Amino acid sequence: MNLIIMPVIIYLGSAFVIPLLFRKDEKWAGFTASIFTFLALLVSLLLGMHILSEGRLIAFAGGWKEPLGIALMVDPLSAVFLIVTNLVAFLIVVYAITYMKKYTGTVHFYVLFMLMLAGMNGVLISMDIWNLFVFFEIASLASYILVAFGLRAEEMEAALKYTVMGFLASTFILFAMALVYGLTGTLNIPDFMNAVAGLPHTHMWFIVGLFISGFGLKMALVPFHTWLPDAHSMAPAPVSALLSGLFIKVIGFYCIIRLAANVFGEIYQIKTVLIILGVVTMVLGGIMAYGQKNIKRLFAYSSISQIGYCAIALGIGGYLGYLGALMHFIGHAFSKSLLFLNIGAIEYVKGTTESEDLKGINDQMPYTTLLSNTGMLGIAGIPPMGNFWSKLIIILAAVRAGYTGVAVLCILVAVLTLGYFLKLMRTVYYSKPEMKAEKKEAPLAMLVPMIALGFMVFFAGILLLPAIRTVTLDRAVNVMENFSYKTLHIPAQHDNAQLND
Amino acid sequence: MIIYLLVAIVFFVGLYGIVAKKNIIKIIVGINIVGYAVNLLFILLGYKWNGIAPVMTRKIELSEFYKYSVDPLPQALVLTSIVIDLAFLAFLAALAIRLYEKYGTFDIDKIRRLKG
Repeated sequence: MNLIIMPVIIYLGSAFVIPLLFRKDEKWAGFTASIFTFLALLVSLLLGMHILSEGRLIAFAGGWKEPLGIALMVDPLSAVFLIVTNLVAFLIVVYAITYMKKYTGTVHFYVLFMLMLAGMNGVLISMDIWNLFVFFEIASLASYILVAFGLRAEEMEAALKYTVMGFLASTFILFAMALVYGLTGTLNIPDFMNAVAGLPHTHMWFIVGLFISGFGLKMALVPFHTWLPDAHSMAPAPVSALLSGLFIKVIGFYCIIRLAANVFGEIYQIKTVLIILGVVTMVLGGIMAYGQKNIKRLFAYSSISQIGYCAIALGIGGYLGYLGALMHFIGHAFSKSLLFLNIGAIEYVKGTTESEDLKGINDQMPYTTLLSNTGMLGIAGIPPMGNFWSKLIIILAAVRAGYTGVAVLCILVAVLTLGYFLKLMRTVYYSKPEMKAEKKEAPLAMLVPMIALGFMVFFAGILLLPAIRTVTLDRAVNVMENFSYKTLHIPAQHDNAQLND
Repeated sequence: MIIYLLVAIVFFVGLYGIVAKKNIIKIIVGINIVGYAVNLLFILLGYKWNGIAPVMTRKIELSEFYKYSVDPLPQALVLTSIVIDLAFLAFLAALAIRLYEKYGTFDIDKIRRLKG
């Protein structure tokens, strides 16, 4: 059995097994789902260990050699994304066991959640454009349904908006893929890269434009962002945490790295486009977040603002730019998941997310408030936390590359981010409550994953210590910098690496 | 060339339906038309005029076979794509019915409780 495909198989298998086992009694469905997620986490860590020693792992589905076979590959870049995804997903599922008790039909929830994770993991391991698209659609469809899971009127309205826009995104991507296939006759990403060099630029710009608008819509870059605040604020808290912390980055950001930045990186304009879109996204998201009354909505706008940083860093490129983009992804994945889980815990106890009704929540839920502070300061970029270093690196990269204006805007938006979070803390979390309510903390089973995430937010900066960085992030950055796999040919010791399924 | 133009027209008709229409059912129809247009483009890219089916039914030289048979890969891919579109359609139709139950209308201008 080949290890590469295992995360996808584990998630798809659990999506199949859970409804069979728990059709009558839903009690243990969440526990089983968390065990499967933990298995996937172990497998991705194991893959990471393999990559430390061997560089990259390649398999061909069905054992057909390229270019006929469907290539699956884990390189340091996808390994970083895989480990972060499965780690955060595991904590979210553990949290969901308690949180989802107030919903009915939790078996369906776990099935969809597992399908979504299967799609995300599949996107991360596939090196074939069509395979990537199919996994992309699996993850997207599951996420549309999960947004509407509560079946309240507003949730379904958000889901309708999200689905229609998401369909347009996938249509653009499919369109681009059809053109790619028509022009080059291949769907394998390295083959396609080799073929692209000889194509006329006008064709390429059309394809790049379609890819950027498709994946940019999934990533919520600003002209395409309108679905995000609705969908992310209306979904159940574990789904919001997964969507905001991981989904927009794995489905949008990672695909842009793989398809747009790596394949078309030679064209200079794509980087300029990414920087411009990133700056607009960052500024507008920050300004919109400032005036929000609903806390979940504020966090959603904050996600838009932070994804702008990732786009800017990707557009600047170079060692510092890519390192900043990866680090920002990791730090934001931890802290934004933590914030959405926190607001979910508050909603679980108090039944609302409107800031008017939550004044003085510190007196009632001190631990949750403390964790929220960790997450907020983490995103705002207060020194020991991960996102401080990533923002610093992005600003340095911008100055080095000569984009001084962009660097100044990055600093201003960082201050704005701190501003709206401090305002939220002062006017909501720590303000005087209108009437005294007794102390009622979230259940322990929800607190434990949140505390784990809190520690990760606090210590994410460790990844940048030279000893750890050289073996983990630097290798991933190296992949982003010179993605020059002219072919995926298998090294000698892997010649018998086949899938036996 | 003219056939690609026709595909483009179908695509834009669907896009018009999605962007300009207010009725959810019409938007869903527009979504399907867009999906068909892209699938059609994909099939056309692998098609050869007066080509044969890519099945080796009789003894034929391989070079000859390559020359006259249509490309089977886009057809296989489009089958997958059609299934994905079907899933979209099923979900959107179910969503439209539920929305009608809650709001009593298919008009997206009246389905507007989220803002900001």
